[in-house]
Amino acid sequence: MKLQRKDVLGLEEMDVEEIRQILQTAKVMKGILMRPIKKLPTLKGKSVVNLFYEASTRTRTSFEMAAKVLGADTTSIAVAQSSVSKGESLYDTAKTIQAMRADLVILRHSSSGSASFLADILDAGVINAGDGQHEHPTQALLDIFTMEEKLGDLEGKNVVIVGDVLHSRVARSNVWGLRKLGVNVTLVGPPTLAPAEMGGLGVKLTHDLDSVLPGADVVMALRLQLERQKSGLFPSLREYSHLYGLTSERLKKTGKQSVVMHPGPMNRGVEISDEVADSAQALIERQVTNGVAIRMALIYLLIGGSANVVA
Amino acid sequence: MLWLKDVWVVDPSQKLASAQSVLVKEGKILAISSSLTDEEVQFKVQGEAIETIDGQGKLLFPGLIDVHTHLREPGQEDKEDILSGSRAAVRGGFTTILAMANTQPVIDKRALAEFVRLQGERAGYAHVLPIGTVTKGMQGEELVEMADMKEGGVVAFSDDGKNIQNAEVMRLALEYVKLTGLPIISHCEDNYLAGDGLMRRGRASGRMGLKGIPASAESVIVARDLILTEETGGKLHLAHISTAESVELIRRAKARGVNVTAEVNPHHLIFCDEDIHLTDTALKVNPPLASQEDRAALIEGLQDGTIDMIATDHAPHTQAEKARPFAEAPFGIASLETALSAVYQYLVLTGKLSWERVIEAWSYSPAERFGLKGGTLKPGTPADMVLFDPGYKEVIEPSNLVSKARNTPFLGKTLQGFPVMVWVEGRLVQRNRMLL
Ligand SMILES: [Zn+2]
Repeated sequence: MKLQRKDVLGLEEMDVEEIRQILQTAKVMKGILMRPIKKLPTLKGKSVVNLFYEASTRTRTSFEMAAKVLGADTTSIAVAQSSVSKGESLYDTAKTIQAMRADLVILRHSSSGSASFLADILDAGVINAGDGQHEHPTQALLDIFTMEEKLGDLEGKNVVIVGDVLHSRVARSNVWGLRKLGVNVTLVGPPTLAPAEMGGLGVKLTHDLDSVLPGADVVMALRLQLERQKSGLFPSLREYSHLYGLTSERLKKTGKQSVVMHPGPMNRGVEISDEVADSAQALIERQVTNGVAIRMALIYLLIGGSANVVA
Repeated sequence: MLWLKDVWVVDPSQKLASAQSVLVKEGKILAISSSLTDEEVQFKVQGEAIETIDGQGKLLFPGLIDVHTHLREPGQEDKEDILSGSRAAVRGGFTTILAMANTQPVIDKRALAEFVRLQGERAGYAHVLPIGTVTKGMQGEELVEMADMKEGGVVAFSDDGKNIQNAEVMRLALEYVKLTGLPIISHCEDNYLAGDGLMRRGRASGRMGLKGIPASAESVIVARDLILTEETGGKLHLAHISTAESVELIRRAKARGVNVTAEVNPHHLIFCDEDIHLTDTALKVNPPLASQEDRAALIEGLQDGTIDMIATDHAPHTQAEKARPFAEAPFGIASLETALSAVYQYLVLTGKLSWERVIEAWSYSPAERFGLKGGTLKPGTPADMVLFDPGYKEVIEPSNLVSKARNTPFLGKTLQGFPVMVWVEGRLVQRNRMLL
C-alpha cells in the first residue's frame, strides 16, 4: 500500500494510521537490511535526488543507502549555502529538478518551510530531511521506531526531551509524532532555550530536569549548538552540563532502566556523559540502523507503486 | 460643473454622515447641502453645463490620505515606481500619498525630495508628497538639512525601514525638527530584540520553528521615543503600531499631553500571527502580525482615538523576491489597491469601526497632523473625493492590479466594497475601477 500523499513534510500533518503504516513497513525493511545480501530490484529505474543545502553526512548517507538498497538511482546535489540571497534560488533549483524528471527529492535546508515550498513546485515527491527549525520527520520516525522496538506499545509512556528545544526540528517532529501515539512528552531546557512559546506544541514544558526524571521511560538529549553560547542563550557549557547533562547519576532518578537517545552527533561531556553514551541504556547506534529502515520505508511507500517488497 | 445627487456623505470635518447633494466647480467644492433644489443649482451654475451623477446607494467621502507608502523610486523601480504607485493609490481611493524615504538613494537632500514631488506631478494621479530621512544616508548618525528639505516639499522626516538606534540622535532630531514644525515618523524597532526574527514571537512561531520577534522589540522604542518627545517638546508620529503595550504607552502619553500621533496598518487590524503559514510569504511583514490580543487592543485604540490614523505601509516587492522560503522572502504587503476594501469588509461591515471613524482616521486626521490640503469636503476646498460602492465585488487578480506588485494576502480572493469614482482636484481619475 502506498501512502496517500505525494510528500512527507512533517509529522504535524500526518495522521496516526499513516505513522503506524510507516513503522510497520520499516519493520519489514529492517529485516531486509539485516540480510547478508541487501539489494532489491523494487525501485529499479526510479531516481532519487538528495538536495542538501546544509552539510549532513549522516542523514545524506542514510538516505542514499536506503534508496540504493531498494534499487533506485541516487544523485546528490550539495549546495553551499554561504549567503541566503546569493546563488541560485531554491525556486530556480526546483524548476531545474522538475525538468530532470526526478521521482523523489530529499531536501535538507536551513529555512523552516522550505520543504513545503519545494513540494508545492514539484510534481515529484519530497521528503523533508530537516527544514530549518521546523521539522525533521524521518528523525522522529526513527526515534519512535526505536522506542517501540525497545518498549512495545508507547501509549501512556513518558518521554523527556532535554536541551535546546527552541531551535530543534527534532524536538518538534518528535512532539507531533509522540503525541499522536498517546505518549506523555515533557520538554526540558533553560528558559532561554525552552521559552514559553514552545507551549504552542501542546506538551508539558519545564526548566527543571531532575524534577521530571522520575518515571521517565525515555530520556532524549538534543545536540547543543555550541555557538548558542556566543548569542547569550546560555552562560557556559559547564553550567549547561551541570543542569541538563545526562549522567548515570542523574539517570538513576528515573527509577527504572530508562532508554537514552540522542539524534547525533553528540557533544560528549556536554549534553551526555561518555559513560551514558556508551552504556547499554543508550540506543544511539541502533537509532542509526533504524534510520536507514525508516527511510527505506518512506521511499518505498512514496514511489514504490504496487510492487510487493515482502515477496 | 459636477452635481452629485443623493449621495451618502461621510465627512468628519463637518460632522456629516447623511444624504447630501454636492456641487463641484473648477476643481473645488462649491456647495454641499441636504436640500439642493434644481432651481438653486441652476442659479449657482449660471448657465454652465452640468454633469449629474446619481449617488444613491453609494458613499462620498474626502479622498483618503495615506501617510505611509513605499513607492520604491528612485532605485527599485522593478518593485514599483511613482507612476504605478500613484495609479494604484487612486484605484484604491487615495488622493494623497506620502512617499517613504528609504529609496536608493535615500531621500536625504532637497534635490531628491523635489525629484519625488516632480515625478508625482508628472504621473498626474494622486498627490505625491515626499518624506525626507531624519539622518544622512539613513545611517542614524548625522541629521539632514531639515529646514532646506522642508523648502523642497517634504512633509515629515523618517528613517522608516530602519530605527534610529542611538537615543541621543533621536533626541537631537526631535529638538532640531522644531525648526520646521514637521513631525518625525518613528519606525519603532530595537535591532537587538528584533534580531533576525521572521514573525512575532509567540505560540505560532514556537510551533512552526520560525525565529520570533518579541513584542518588546517595538514597545521599548515606543516608550523611548515618547519620553524623548515629552522631554524635548518635539513632534512625533509613530508608524505601524502593532502591540497592546504600545497602545497603552501612547494612551498614557497622550493623557500627559505629549505631542504624539500614531498609525496602524490594515493588516494588523485584520490578521494575526496564527494566520501565517510557512509557505505564505504574503503575510510576512514588519512589524510582524501580532497576537489576537494585540489585534483587539489595536482596534480598541483606533476606536477611542489613542491611534489617530490608518496607513497602509504599502510595501511592494517583486514576485521573484516573495517566491522564496519564508526566511528568505522580504518583509512587506502591497496594499494600496485592497486596503480600503479590506477595512470595509473586515471592520466596518462587522461593526468594529464606523465609516465616520474610518474616514476621520484615513483622511481628516492625516491632513490635520501633517498640515496637508484635503481631508475635507468643505466648500472652497479642492475636490479630492471618492465615490464608494459598498456592493461592488472584485476578485483580486494580477490582471486587474495596476501596482507592479502582487504581494497581497488577498490575491485570488474576492473583496467587496470599492471606490468606483475618484476625483483629484475635481478631475476624474478613476471610473468603474478603470484609470482615466
Ligand atoms: Zn516601518
